[in-house]
Amino acid sequence: MHEKIQRINETEWEIPKGFVPGMRVSGRFFLSDTLAEGIEDGALTQLANVACLPGILNNSYGMPDIHWGYGFPIGGVAAFDETEGIISPGGVGFDINCGVRMITTPLTEADLTDKQGLIEELFEAVPTGVGAKSPIRLSQNDLTLMLEEGARHAVELGYGCEADVGRCEENGAMPGADVSAVSKKARQRGVPQMGTLGSGNHFLELQTAEEVLDEETAKTFGVKEGQLCVMIHCGSRGLGHQVCTDHLKVLEEAVKKYGIDLPDRQLACAPLDSPEGKAYFGGMAASANYAWANRQVITHIVREIFVKRFEVDYEEMPLIYDVAHNVAKWEEHEAGGVRRKVCVHRKGATRAFGPGRAEIPQEFRAVGQPVIIPGSMGTSSYLLAGTDGAMEKTFGSTCHGAGRVKSRSSAKKSLTGDAVAAELLMDGIYVRASNPAAIAEEAPDVYKPSSEVVKTVSDAGISRIAVRLRPLGVIKG
Amino acid sequence: MPFEELEHTADVKMRITAPDFSALLCESGHALAAVLYGDFAKEPETLTLEIEAEGADRAELAVNFLSELLFLTEIEYLVPLSFSLTAEEGRVSGTVSGIEFDRKKHAGGICVKGISYSGLSLEETAEGFELQIIFDI
Repeated sequence: MHEKIQRINETEWEIPKGFVPGMRVSGRFFLSDTLAEGIEDGALTQLANVACLPGILNNSYGMPDIHWGYGFPIGGVAAFDETEGIISPGGVGFDINCGVRMITTPLTEADLTDKQGLIEELFEAVPTGVGAKSPIRLSQNDLTLMLEEGARHAVELGYGCEADVGRCEENGAMPGADVSAVSKKARQRGVPQMGTLGSGNHFLELQTAEEVLDEETAKTFGVKEGQLCVMIHCGSRGLGHQVCTDHLKVLEEAVKKYGIDLPDRQLACAPLDSPEGKAYFGGMAASANYAWANRQVITHIVREIFVKRFEVDYEEMPLIYDVAHNVAKWEEHEAGGVRRKVCVHRKGATRAFGPGRAEIPQEFRAVGQPVIIPGSMGTSSYLLAGTDGAMEKTFGSTCHGAGRVKSRSSAKKSLTGDAVAAELLMDGIYVRASNPAAIAEEAPDVYKPSSEVVKTVSDAGISRIAVRLRPLGVIKG
Repeated sequence: MPFEELEHTADVKMRITAPDFSALLCESGHALAAVLYGDFAKEPETLTLEIEAEGADRAELAVNFLSELLFLTEIEYLVPLSFSLTAEEGRVSGTVSGIEFDRKKHAGGICVKGISYSGLSLEETAEGFELQIIFDI
């Protein structure tokens, strides 16, 4: 660990002001001893750079899955004052509202008599990888309504049920979406990609709820030990990527216009109350809504396959929750001893609101918000609950996944996709991907152990583990 | 080799070299195609599209050119094979030619979300130009 970093306690570390010039607040991050061994200096510098941004409140935060990203580190969280603060695409990422959702089924692993056949059918039905084409014909009017209403409009078109909407963060549609801030190019990319998975670390995975670690919370969320579940991880596809690209150009100019002194060009931003800042927020919110609709359409495809193969009812596969982990949102938090409206950026970080928050579905409010943390292809994923500790320490935020430790190029040099797939099959995990390289690049070895990451957020008190889920089969782009 | 992949934890970082700036943009286009589609057999070109981009400096121009190329690959399902480009001060224009995406032949790569300013550098060298650029995955 860098000599200037100070350890606060077993899991919390501080980057003091002065680590890089111009820091307005300290940096604060959460790592166990094991995870601390692999921390990248570049990620710490990025965390310190975020602390230089105007209007930042309390601290710049890093979650245990922190690694080097664009502008903010992946796993970065920062909240900004309503009048003094800024908004930055570097704190959101290219894939706006990349997120993850989970549905349960009335089945168990024993019902999977033809797991390979099921995975192959899912792979054919859910378009994945480069060049994937939408399974639906989306009109321009429907695209506009998805940008405004998110998951709700997908449900209105028949892709889901009413209960799904209430089980999404923000009820599947961020307020403040501005369709005029989504360019024609973004719309052109969005129409043919609705209902597609993408590639990279995006996936669709069959899992079994192998271990219930908090009985009351699991029961409240509606998850039983041994239950077969499906997890879906993807985002706003080319539409969101184009919105980010378009607004980055505008915000590069805004930095000059408003005389913002930045330590890093990747942190291009604008004041929250400026026309440029408002336009980015509006385009980002619309993209986030597209992402919720995208995950909703994929969920519908999965349910239809299960209905047909297993003769279960559509309604027997409820959405447990859907979380966004690349987004900036207006929320109310305590900061500087005052309860106030702040703009929280979460870049590879998950909202983890504690019990009692009005934003959480009524049925979950007593135990806290469901938090879904995917592992890698070969390691467990987790269902957690948000805590009061997260509200106090991290603006109600926690980690988002395992976090990469090895580059794609070195993974491809040291591993072959076929060998990784064969090894996973020995553990009972059937993998289907567009190409073998996609499997090698996402092999379990290239990620931090998900168990260590969630143990750290649990030890730090910013989430509480409820259920551990073991992978059974996965499709990758 | 006019381009090679460098180490980067989460994304794809490329070093691209060429004797002049127009050639550098062409090679950067080939580098993007290699990431998107992997190794694939070359075929007679069947599609030609116009492409243009602007930028305040050469590095920004390279980012904007590749962003435009990424856009064309997605909406036209174009697999780029060759470029005919003219680069002037702050602007590039020309054509990109290739073939239509075929999942059976071109699924060897990975989706690129955007062209990043992170780690971006463009230098004049004794041999011409060198660009280091990250494709966000």
